[in-house]
Amino acid sequence: MHKIALNLLLLCCTTLSLAQSRFTVNGTVTDKKNGETMIGATVYALGNASGTATNAYGFYSLTLPAGTHQLVFRMVGYQNDTVTINLTANVKLNHALADNSTALTEVVVTSKKDNDNIREARIGVEKLTPASVAKIPVIFGEKDIIKTIQLLPGVKSAGEGGAGFFVRGGAADQNLILLDEAPVYNASHLLGFFSTFNSDALKDVTLIKGNSPAQYGGRLSSVLDVKMKDGSNQKFNGSAGIGLISSRASFEGPIAKDRGSFIISARRTYVDMFLKLSEEDKDNKLYFYDLNAKASYRINDKNRIFFSGYMGQDVLGFGKTFLVDWGNRTATLRWNYEISPKLFSNTSFIYSNYNYKMNFGSTSKTTELRSKIQDVNLKEEMTWYLNTKNTIKFGFNVIKHNLIPTRTTTGNTVTGNKKGRSAYENALFVNRTWLVTDRLTIDHGVRFSFYTLLGGDTYRMYNNGIQTDSVVLASGKTGKTYINPEPRVQFNYTINDVSAIKGGYARNSQHLHLLSNSTSSSPTDQWFGDSYNVKPEVSDQFSLGYSRNFNNSKYQTSVEVYYKDMKNQIDYKDGADINTSRDVESELLFGKGRAYGAEFLVKKTQGRFTGWVGYTLSKTERQINGINNNRWYNARQDRTHDISVVGVYDLSAKWSLSGLFVYGTGNPVTYPKGKYQIGDKSVFIYTDRNGDRLPAYHRMDLGATYTKKTKRGREVSWNFSLYNAYGRANAYTTIFEDHETDKSRTVIKQTSLFRFVPSVTYNFKF
Amino acid sequence: MKNIFIMAAASALLLISCTKEVNLPLKTVPPTIVIEGNITNEKGPYTVLLRKTVDFNNKNTYPPVEGATVTISDDAGSIDTLTETSPGVYQTATLVGTPGRTYTLNMLAEGKSYNATSTMPQPVVLDNVKFELFTSKGDSGKPEYSALPEFTDPANVANTYRFIMRVNDTLNTEYFVLNDNTFNGQKNEYILFDPGAEINAGDTVELEFRCTDRNNYLYFFTLSQFNSDGPYNTTPTNPPSNIKGDPAYGIFSAHTVQRKTTVVTP
Repeated sequence: MHKIALNLLLLCCTTLSLAQSRFTVNGTVTDKKNGETMIGATVYALGNASGTATNAYGFYSLTLPAGTHQLVFRMVGYQNDTVTINLTANVKLNHALADNSTALTEVVVTSKKDNDNIREARIGVEKLTPASVAKIPVIFGEKDIIKTIQLLPGVKSAGEGGAGFFVRGGAADQNLILLDEAPVYNASHLLGFFSTFNSDALKDVTLIKGNSPAQYGGRLSSVLDVKMKDGSNQKFNGSAGIGLISSRASFEGPIAKDRGSFIISARRTYVDMFLKLSEEDKDNKLYFYDLNAKASYRINDKNRIFFSGYMGQDVLGFGKTFLVDWGNRTATLRWNYEISPKLFSNTSFIYSNYNYKMNFGSTSKTTELRSKIQDVNLKEEMTWYLNTKNTIKFGFNVIKHNLIPTRTTTGNTVTGNKKGRSAYENALFVNRTWLVTDRLTIDHGVRFSFYTLLGGDTYRMYNNGIQTDSVVLASGKTGKTYINPEPRVQFNYTINDVSAIKGGYARNSQHLHLLSNSTSSSPTDQWFGDSYNVKPEVSDQFSLGYSRNFNNSKYQTSVEVYYKDMKNQIDYKDGADINTSRDVESELLFGKGRAYGAEFLVKKTQGRFTGWVGYTLSKTERQINGINNNRWYNARQDRTHDISVVGVYDLSAKWSLSGLFVYGTGNPVTYPKGKYQIGDKSVFIYTDRNGDRLPAYHRMDLGATYTKKTKRGREVSWNFSLYNAYGRANAYTTIFEDHETDKSRTVIKQTSLFRFVPSVTYNFKF
Repeated sequence: MKNIFIMAAASALLLISCTKEVNLPLKTVPPTIVIEGNITNEKGPYTVLLRKTVDFNNKNTYPPVEGATVTISDDAGSIDTLTETSPGVYQTATLVGTPGRTYTLNMLAEGKSYNATSTMPQPVVLDNVKFELFTSKGDSGKPEYSALPEFTDPANVANTYRFIMRVNDTLNTEYFVLNDNTFNGQKNEYILFDPGAEINAGDTVELEFRCTDRNNYLYFFTLSQFNSDGPYNTTPTNPPSNIKGDPAYGIFSAHTVQRKTTVVTP
């Protein structure tokens, strides 16, 4: 059946190209220096309206009328190239671009204006490369792509230094975080002060704020698509960085020149080494390490395979009686197959695992809590470059989830008879990019998601925490299936060379939910799938934007507004017992949410001074029966104003200076209003959930980078940074408690973290 | 048990944080009655305290509620009318707290009526309090220990427990509660986890072991979720009270009590 369909498709392509006497030029765009494939490089024929961009594997396909064309290859940060071709048949044209650093002069005269952001950008999409963020100051000097993303409008940091983030009013678990297509279930290290992404191993990062095309799905708010480097297929080389609290090293090289490459990157922190120095803390442990590895091999002109893997582990130990460790593991095996010059296929087998383990108790007997989520995933995505006006993406995704809820083991007995649950999360999708006219592009599609409960456990139904019914699903049986159609549409209308209107609507559904009863996510939060009580979360987002470039595209500005409606939102009921309750479902409440806002961005992308100013005005609320007397309340991620200013100034060839400033309305918090006494201790009275706010958060960070080439042409750099340069004591937590000694009064204590944190990192290449 | 993670994380963060006392202009609440009643299997009289709430920024001085009519009855038909022995303090006369009995509190104060019920569970015997090494060198500079209450949970019922700990006559401010969901019918192996307890060798630890009913457990369990620090803090709410009738705060508890005083030896 599959074969027939494929043949039909092939036939279709051939017929079309013959009928119009058009031919297809296709190939892969790579970086001349190391053979890395380029994502999002544009390819177009001069004097011809049609153009295309390379896909996630550097592949492009462009169909043009027979005859001579001048094909332009462009990529930000690289020199443009023009290749003359004479099309008399389908042509394969692989092309390598040289980066700007090898250019002889600073001035590159481009016949075309640098206005890709106007012509191609989709609504709510932000793209970053590790190189573009390398000079922005960060805490502990550890460049981190997630920290930089938090500086963009519409994205909010989950907390001081934290790696969690909120997109357009969504919760932290509503972001789909993909590392080479594998979902990463916990993207933070070391209590959130580092993200799991080691910048040295990354090639490209794209954040889609809710209006994702149909090939993405499974989360309500955003997709953070992180792609790892393939490694150089030209020569062996390495880089390393030594910082105050962590170090990292990468090594890459060809497996076979021009055909295959590998990269391996490792990182470890050594805060605990310092702990060991002090007698007092020598029993404490606090560290993480992670490892990224990738290999790729081009079998022939039409087939290429990739293998990527990640593993990371965090350990936090306290005294002799407490140890928690958690970690992610992902592995992706991909096969690119060029079925025809117009039909590109990618097949991925993906494995993803997140688990945590917590041990506590005496030295002789320990109690252990553990939980795990494990996925096996098959994804097929076809890109069909149908004709100059239409590109169609279609495919399917089959994921088998295995979720093991928090289980307690004491001694040798497993108690609390919670079983693991498994489910299929399947999807079918089709998406068409349609160049309606020279000015109007419409991107539309639909994704169908299917979530099927698998047998092996008893599913109970609850009403207000009281069990009303139950379904015993025997092993091998399937239970309820939730089917969610998710239509998506967006457009880009180019008004002129420098301005465009964009808009979109997208429905997203989410079948996995991170249950958390705290203000920020902790590694012990558990992932939970749909059940008979827990329905898929659904969101509808409408957005509209306007972009305008000024001064020959030196300045790019944009404004976007959005409204998002969310259904089946989940929270714990007040005072929920999340670890020892027999069935965590009895502790849940369901409701709805809404979020709306406006995002403004002014960006300068060229010249010695680059940077941006972002401003977000937004509102995010929840309404859940059983919380806040059933009234709407501010979600914990509600922040009215958010401002970020980022600037990098290249002082000389060797020195560059950078700075950033952030300001945000204080997070909503619940403060007590009154108090009483029970058993010699004060008990506080609360009336409105999240009815108060922390003081406004603001901070300035400064950085300087010194780069030079050694005599042998190796690059070394020193990175200096000062986090929270003016020492603002931002409220991290506010504690209300009885005075330690004076029992006649209560006190309010405010804790702040990180004032004046200097750091220095030495980076070198070898 | 999430608490344990939170406390450990918070302690780690303390290395880089700074804390100061602040004043915040908080909203206020109308004064509302607070009922705290305890019936135990120890010898009476038992006390019901009636006081009023105050605003957070006030002193911890709670106005007593005087002149209330308070009765406690049990499911065996006895009824005891309480006497106000000092302002806001009401005491029983004849009642004898007995495990297995259900007690009902009825009261009328300032024209409003309230009632609550609580069942005293059968006592569970606390065999011993053991001290496990928590850290070989704590903040005090000496080895610190954690208390492990040793008792065997009865298998046939759902039990809930609460511990009140005094170290050298100073009340520990943590709420220690346990349910038997994870160790029904087995020996308890949960230590009373509190990194701030600073229990050293030679200290005298008095542990009050209470077997409570479910409502009382929920009340103190809820409080135990909020008394921690850091970003992992649970959004605070009012604990679920078992007091019915007009709006009131507090808890009415019938529980068993066993006390054990132990000198910590390594």
